[in-house]
Amino acid sequence: MDGVDGTDRQEGKQDGPTPSLLFIILDTNPHAWALLQNTLPFSKAIANILVFINAHLAVNNANQVAVIASHSQRSVWLYPRPPSDPQHGDDSDTGMDDENKTDTSNLSDASKYRPFALIENSLLHSLRKLIKTTTEADIKATTSTQMAGALTMALSYINKATIAFLDTGAAAKPTPTALDSSDKAVGLQSRILVVSVSGDLAYQYIPIMNSTFAAQRLRVPMDILKLAGDTVFLQQAAFTTRAVYLQLKNLQGVLQYLMMAFLPDQLARKHLVVPTQEVVDFRAACFCHRSVVDVGFVCSICLSIFCTPPEGAICLTCETQLALGDYGNKPAVIPKKKKKKKRALDGGSSRATPAPEAA
Amino acid sequence: MSSRAGSGLKGSALYKKTDGVFSITDDRKSIIWTPSQPPDAAPAITIAITNISNLQQTPETNPKVILKIFEKPPGGTEATPAITHLFHFNSPKAPREEANAIKEVLSCLLVGLKANDPSVSKVNGHLPVSKAPGALQFASSDGWYEDSQLKADFDLQRDLMIRNPFLKQTYDEFRKLKSDGLSLTQFNSQFWSTRTNMLRAHAVEFNQKKGSYNVLSEVKPIGDSVTINREQIQLVFSQHPLVKQVYDENVPKLNEVLFWERFFLSRLYKKLKGNRITESDTTDPTFDRYLNQSDDDRSLRRRQEETQIPHFIDLEGNEENQGGTKSGNRKDWTMRPNSTTKVPIIRSLNSVSERIMANVAPSDIDPANPIGMSEKEFNELTLRDLQAASNETRIELNIKEQSLIQSRHKSSVSEEARFYAAKVPSDVLHDLSDDVMNGIGGGLQSAIGFIDDSNSEDEDKLPHVGSKSSIAEAQEHLIQGVKARGKEIAVARGNTDSKTMQAGLSNGIFESLTLSHATTTEFLNQFWLLFLSGDADRAGELSKTVESLDRAMERINAVAAAAEKERQEVIEQQRQEIRAHYQRTQKRLAWNANTIKGGEKTVMEMMDPIIKTLRKALTDYKEAFAAQNLEAPGS
Ligand SMILES: [Zn+2]
Ligand SMILES: [Zn+2]
Repeated sequence: MDGVDGTDRQEGKQDGPTPSLLFIILDTNPHAWALLQNTLPFSKAIANILVFINAHLAVNNANQVAVIASHSQRSVWLYPRPPSDPQHGDDSDTGMDDENKTDTSNLSDASKYRPFALIENSLLHSLRKLIKTTTEADIKATTSTQMAGALTMALSYINKATIAFLDTGAAAKPTPTALDSSDKAVGLQSRILVVSVSGDLAYQYIPIMNSTFAAQRLRVPMDILKLAGDTVFLQQAAFTTRAVYLQLKNLQGVLQYLMMAFLPDQLARKHLVVPTQEVVDFRAACFCHRSVVDVGFVCSICLSIFCTPPEGAICLTCETQLALGDYGNKPAVIPKKKKKKKRALDGGSSRATPAPEAA
Repeated sequence: MSSRAGSGLKGSALYKKTDGVFSITDDRKSIIWTPSQPPDAAPAITIAITNISNLQQTPETNPKVILKIFEKPPGGTEATPAITHLFHFNSPKAPREEANAIKEVLSCLLVGLKANDPSVSKVNGHLPVSKAPGALQFASSDGWYEDSQLKADFDLQRDLMIRNPFLKQTYDEFRKLKSDGLSLTQFNSQFWSTRTNMLRAHAVEFNQKKGSYNVLSEVKPIGDSVTINREQIQLVFSQHPLVKQVYDENVPKLNEVLFWERFFLSRLYKKLKGNRITESDTTDPTFDRYLNQSDDDRSLRRRQEETQIPHFIDLEGNEENQGGTKSGNRKDWTMRPNSTTKVPIIRSLNSVSERIMANVAPSDIDPANPIGMSEKEFNELTLRDLQAASNETRIELNIKEQSLIQSRHKSSVSEEARFYAAKVPSDVLHDLSDDVMNGIGGGLQSAIGFIDDSNSEDEDKLPHVGSKSSIAEAQEHLIQGVKARGKEIAVARGNTDSKTMQAGLSNGIFESLTLSHATTTEFLNQFWLLFLSGDADRAGELSKTVESLDRAMERINAVAAAAEKERQEVIEQQRQEIRAHYQRTQKRLAWNANTIKGGEKTVMEMMDPIIKTLRKALTDYKEAFAAQNLEAPGS
């Protein structure tokens, strides 16, 4: 039986763990981090996240990681770096010499596992560059972060990575010796981890919810690690994608949170009880002012949400003329004086009055 | 009035509670209604026939005879709702006859109008049934299920509550608590106004008639004896004419009881039921004679021949043309006309169903419609892929870019944004870049605050990232989360005892809490309906509802007090047990009253959301009241 050898190897591969892709969105809102400086400085948070990334990579050597910064006015790739941005950039004005020194010393550290060192090196380089290219005008211009854009980039990257993973699988099939050739059925397990510090995201309500539903369809959990602020829509995102939402009670124990709650991938989570917030805020934001509403008005045609009935009851989105019913009438709490006689006279001739006596 | 009625085009009718005469003009162009007082009054209402978009009438069973006329609003389009006129035919002699005569003439006129209308497409020369607005909605369907009628139908409501004990409980509880100023009628209409959907569903269910069933599969012989009643025998005869024939030819000779006993053992019975006959089945010459006879009813045959079956689904016709078994239908044995012997069960079930259906008068077809294929049937049989593509008739929506909407409405600035905006940008940037450039200089290990030989006492003095105390707190938080989630999963899977659900409350307390919650919700519902209606005539009703809301709060407090009393009793009992234990053994047991769950705190926690909503309702009411008192002092 010549085939026995080959089959055995293939089966062995299929039993191996499925690799997972961890996509971290790092909210780098300078305002928010400045506020956290005394409890959890940005650099310490990064260090903790790096340790977490290392743990993720150590679980399975086929595991992948990607990090993106959701900055004040743009979303920026931190790792892996886009091909247009080589390892040692030629941005001479940023004090390249200094960086080179740290980079090299880091990489030549013999006691460090090289893949870990590479990521650490690359991530720190990108971050420093990001902060250096941030101007005061940028900070003045906005107090928020580009979360919706970052989520969109994350989803498209995940989509590409999934396709690439399946392609290598298919191409490698005739040669079973190649890596990652098996587990085609399960595919790459991708998840997003948002490390969030900004609260106020209501004005990005629609794009964030759109990404949430896209993630739900792709079965990509959107884990949320909330260091500061409170965002209704990120709660909903985590809930909708069956992910973990954690608002930290103790910021300095962030590593514990990362390791205990966010390290298991979705396959492992099937067998675990995952800690998550019990209560989810399901409120929506109105389309007219992007503020979170308790009571909203929904267009029955296009489902747009408004905080007050739009002017003339014409939907702002689809321009449909809507009927409002009794709602919005000024409450009448004091009985009027009876005017029964007059009403009875009106009754006969007025055509439009719907006749209540039909009962 | 009655002397003038009866001509067929006139009838005495109430309109908005005024007596009058409803008639169709002699030129048949419009309908008019003339009040009876004063005697020579001019017509108060005139509707051109061309403006009538629909007609409805109460069903024959309803003692009230009301004709509902839908009038197209002047200059209105399809979208604007029609104006409805209700005429209550109240002739002391024969209101139903008068109304029927008028309705018939009107619907004829309407059908005639529509037939000449070029905008209505015609299918197969017939009028499309569903689109002819003149066609009466089948009498019983619409009139029955209108909100106002449902709300007034006490029999229906009683019947629904008998079938739904929980609803009855809510009703009784709510009725007990209603304020005295609210009349029973007002109360009823309030209570049912939010439940018309339930009433409607029940009315529909109630009005459905059960059809006949496949009787041979229902009657099951037990051993040798069989019980079959009159009605079932009738059904067997109508569903299986062959049995009727056998019975006719044999029963005087054969004892009736014996006939049925033997029939249910015979091969003929098996054949009619569609079962396969095997060698081991008993033979019975009386019945076996008929085995080869067809069970087909002659009248059914005739009916089938009369119906024009489209050629492409005519299996027998296809067989004749040699198109069937030799090509398309060769593989599908269910699509062959003569496969009786192969799959008898399908054949016999089909023919039984066909016979059952043939005996039922169709309830969804208006007998006034032209005979032949209905539009629906026609559509079902059309080979759509052979037709030219039809024009799409979708309603276009003009969706505007969301960013345009937002820019028009200035977004309110959040507290967070205002706070951040107050910071000096250069400071923010400086701090951050300083930290990023130098923060991780010492390597990851020191940056995450990992100190191998630290002990917690030293650390507590100086909290830092990664300190043992912070890690312990994080861990505690996470474990709480895991526990909560675990409980949730257990509840979702249903493997949890009621004690955890009730958080220490006894069954009695928990039940009254549930009930109190349900009635409060009900009162809140009524409150908002009245409050937001803006109807000054109902302000009295509204103030009664507010009183009920006040009492709802009192009820919650009462339950909380009862729960607390219960908890204290448990605590006292346990204290005594511990004392007794101490006296017996001289050992103290560790005990803490806080471990006893339930009590006022639990009740208030559970009811917190509804208490908040109660407060909101009462505050809004008081504000509105104060504002209106200012506007109209002394009223
Ligand atoms: Zn708004
Ligand atoms: Zn709309």
